[in-house]
Amino acid sequence: MGWGTLGKLEAIKSGELSAAENVQRALERIGKLNKKLNAFIELNPNAEAEAIDRKFKHGAKVGKLAGLTIGVKSNISVKGLRSTCASRTLENYVSTYDAEVVKRIRAEGGIVVGMTNMDEFACGSSGETSAFGPTDNPAAPGHIPGGSSSGAGAAIAAGLCDFCIGTDTGGSIRNPASHCGVVGVKPTYGLVPRQGLIDLGMSLDQIGPVAPDVKGAALLLEVIAGKTPDECVMLDVERVSYLDRLGDGVKGMRIGVSPKFAELTDPAVMQVINGAVEKLRDMGTKIVEVDLPNLERGLPAYYLIVSVEFFSATRKFDGRKYGKRIEEVCGEEVLRRILRGQYISRKEYRGKYYQRALQVRTLIRHELMAALKRVDVIVGPTVPKLPHKLGAKLTPMEMYAYDYLTIPANLAGICGGVVKAGEVSGIPVGIQVQGKVLGEMEMLKVMQALEATA
Amino acid sequence: MKVKIGLEIHQQMATERKMYCNCPTNYQDVPPNTNVCPICTGMPGSKPLPPNERTVDAAIEIALMLGCKIITDQTIYIQRKHYDYPDLPSGYQRTSLPIAKDGELQGVRIREVHLEEDPGQYDPVAGTADYNRSGVPLVEIVTEPDIRSPEEARKFLRVLTRVLEYTGKVRPEAGGAMRMDVNISLEGGGRVEVKNINSVKGAYRALKFEIIRQREKLKRGEVVVRETRAYLESQMTTVPMRTKELEEDYRYIPDPDIYPLILDAGRVKSVRKGMVEAPHLREQRLVKQYKISRGAAGVIVSERELANLYEAVAREVDPKLASTWFRTRLKKVLNYMKLSAADVRFTPKQIVSLLRMVEAGEVTPEQGELILRELVKHPSDPHKLLQKLGLKGLKLAELRAAVAKVIHANPRAMKDYLAGKEEALHFLAGKVMKLTHGRADPRKVVKLLRAKIVGKK
Repeated sequence: MGWGTLGKLEAIKSGELSAAENVQRALERIGKLNKKLNAFIELNPNAEAEAIDRKFKHGAKVGKLAGLTIGVKSNISVKGLRSTCASRTLENYVSTYDAEVVKRIRAEGGIVVGMTNMDEFACGSSGETSAFGPTDNPAAPGHIPGGSSSGAGAAIAAGLCDFCIGTDTGGSIRNPASHCGVVGVKPTYGLVPRQGLIDLGMSLDQIGPVAPDVKGAALLLEVIAGKTPDECVMLDVERVSYLDRLGDGVKGMRIGVSPKFAELTDPAVMQVINGAVEKLRDMGTKIVEVDLPNLERGLPAYYLIVSVEFFSATRKFDGRKYGKRIEEVCGEEVLRRILRGQYISRKEYRGKYYQRALQVRTLIRHELMAALKRVDVIVGPTVPKLPHKLGAKLTPMEMYAYDYLTIPANLAGICGGVVKAGEVSGIPVGIQVQGKVLGEMEMLKVMQALEATA
Repeated sequence: MKVKIGLEIHQQMATERKMYCNCPTNYQDVPPNTNVCPICTGMPGSKPLPPNERTVDAAIEIALMLGCKIITDQTIYIQRKHYDYPDLPSGYQRTSLPIAKDGELQGVRIREVHLEEDPGQYDPVAGTADYNRSGVPLVEIVTEPDIRSPEEARKFLRVLTRVLEYTGKVRPEAGGAMRMDVNISLEGGGRVEVKNINSVKGAYRALKFEIIRQREKLKRGEVVVRETRAYLESQMTTVPMRTKELEEDYRYIPDPDIYPLILDAGRVKSVRKGMVEAPHLREQRLVKQYKISRGAAGVIVSERELANLYEAVAREVDPKLASTWFRTRLKKVLNYMKLSAADVRFTPKQIVSLLRMVEAGEVTPEQGELILRELVKHPSDPHKLLQKLGLKGLKLAELRAAVAKVIHANPRAMKDYLAGKEEALHFLAGKVMKLTHGRADPRKVVKLLRAKIVGKK
């Protein structure tokens, strides 16, 4: 360890570390630590790196991820592995095809080592709603790792694999990245294909990287981003490249901050964030205050929209094709969202809830777009509070409150990334950098600068 | 008693690929669940492809044929219509908001036209589902309640079928590709909707039954409640649908996985440019341009290929003669052989030369029909067919001999004729035709017979 993602890639290329060894080490580490962490819920028995080593040996062309190990969130399809969504509903569902992102990762020589744990159907912010049991936080043992990409955050924090791909509908990549002290990126909506991702909220879902460092996240994003003709709702972006300009520095960039953040956030967390902002100022950026008056209204709007879309998306789990009818076997939070979605999508309530929620969404989008016209990125806290202890009882509203600061980026379709900014009582605190639509380059540069000073 | 009938017609479009995936649409020709993929079976994680552009263009064309205004430069959402049934793999059907409005056909106003996808097929007896049909594109046509009787409805549907089939963009009605719901109300009663109708005939029968049922109820002073009923094809009756099916709320939402359609005037223009002429308009043009009867024009435009063939022929020979031939003899031959004009393999040139032979008196119309029959079966030069059939070269002497022979063999008929029974002459003429294997001109035969008998006397 201690190589950094690109360093490790070099080590594999130079032969210092073989791809087979890398996979072997990952599997050994998972074998040793997973029992306690519960980050992986299925391992790939065919994780095989010999072919890649042979290619290196013969000097054949290898991909950008050659020999690196990847954990895939359990709501993304990997042919031959179970995409359970950590639910009893899909407990025995084996994917019949690879998600587009998995295809791309495999094409670049990435090796899928297994499926990571998550909140059931990505409905949760703590990792505790998984039907396969909660995940522990390696960076703050005994605390939740955050969710819903709980296994991904924990796996990277514990060094179980080189990367994970997670999904983010209202913060599900950024939240665990913050709690586990790793790097997570929610790309701009429509940048990464969702083909093969089992839906939570289709208009909000986005697949993104969870990685030990910003370079790793940038590398993985380069591999998975870009349109495919086989998907309808995508942005017109062929491919992206970030790594070559990542080190350009942030001097002269305009960094937005909002007084709203302090209103919604635990002061101890805010202190860490303010410290990081000061460092950015010292690096020659201009700190600009932006107005986000309706930020907190995103939360109720989000939970209405996501529930309606989730209700629609889960109609296929009718008990006829995948074993069990979802309502009969799912956990409380999943059921709550289905019933809420079913209720508010009724004809007589359409105008009252769903349409109103969509209006709020438009309002927040306009607000963020206007702010991002004045600055390059907006920087602030990721999660308003520190992670609770595993097993603590929270009301649904207390649980939802974790998402106040991450939801707006999903509603607006912009990108958001998280990198560790510091700690409060030994618990990691991640800083969130929100960028414009397709503003990943600026966002990653700021993240890189923050990582370098942490 | 005043009757109001409105129709909702679901018509399958004849594209090669399904609406949101690349699976083929020939669902009837292949074993169950072979024309399927993760998209049309709604596998977890699958996302639709962008809507098949050909289906959108076809629906625009159909709407234009029905005189509708296309909705341009507006967001047309593709919605999810949720219901729970085994034939629906995702638990929802995709259906667009109207792509066109305000048309008219046969005096019936068309309210709107929109796009839909077909569900799979569920067999409740076997308990099996076949998703080959899932995702086959449909166009839905909704009329205003402007129809006054089952007969009118049937007539409208026949004309509509002709219009749809004319575009070449739909599957034939006969194959179950046209399904419909009808709604009907009698003065003083509630509106009743009847679902599950799979043919024009079915619509007629369902409406007939409903009128009798509703009228009897009203006569007895009972109330006809507003309800939805199902048509039972085997019994030709309708029954109330279970209340559970009625209370259904489809919870429409715009499908987040598909960009809404926005149709621009340019697209409509280009569809209009490549569009075939609607049959009711073509009928009017044929009457005017070729000076043929409305009746003949109606028959000729009943099939697009027949009308195309007619126009190719009418440029070369007397259009009136051609129209008579098309309306009577050609149609008769095709019907007899259970063929449609699309199946015809002979060339316009061949039928032109046949009509010229008739025009020039080289063959009789009856002989011409025999040649036509052969022409349909084995397309070839009509002159050669004439030879082949041995119809040529009946000399006058041969005919006279045949006439004499027949008169000789049927003295009784001759007497009858002389006694004033005109039919007897037809009987004799038939005998002569038979003897000459249809090679004689019947008009000549009658003339010779008459001369001979009268002369004999």
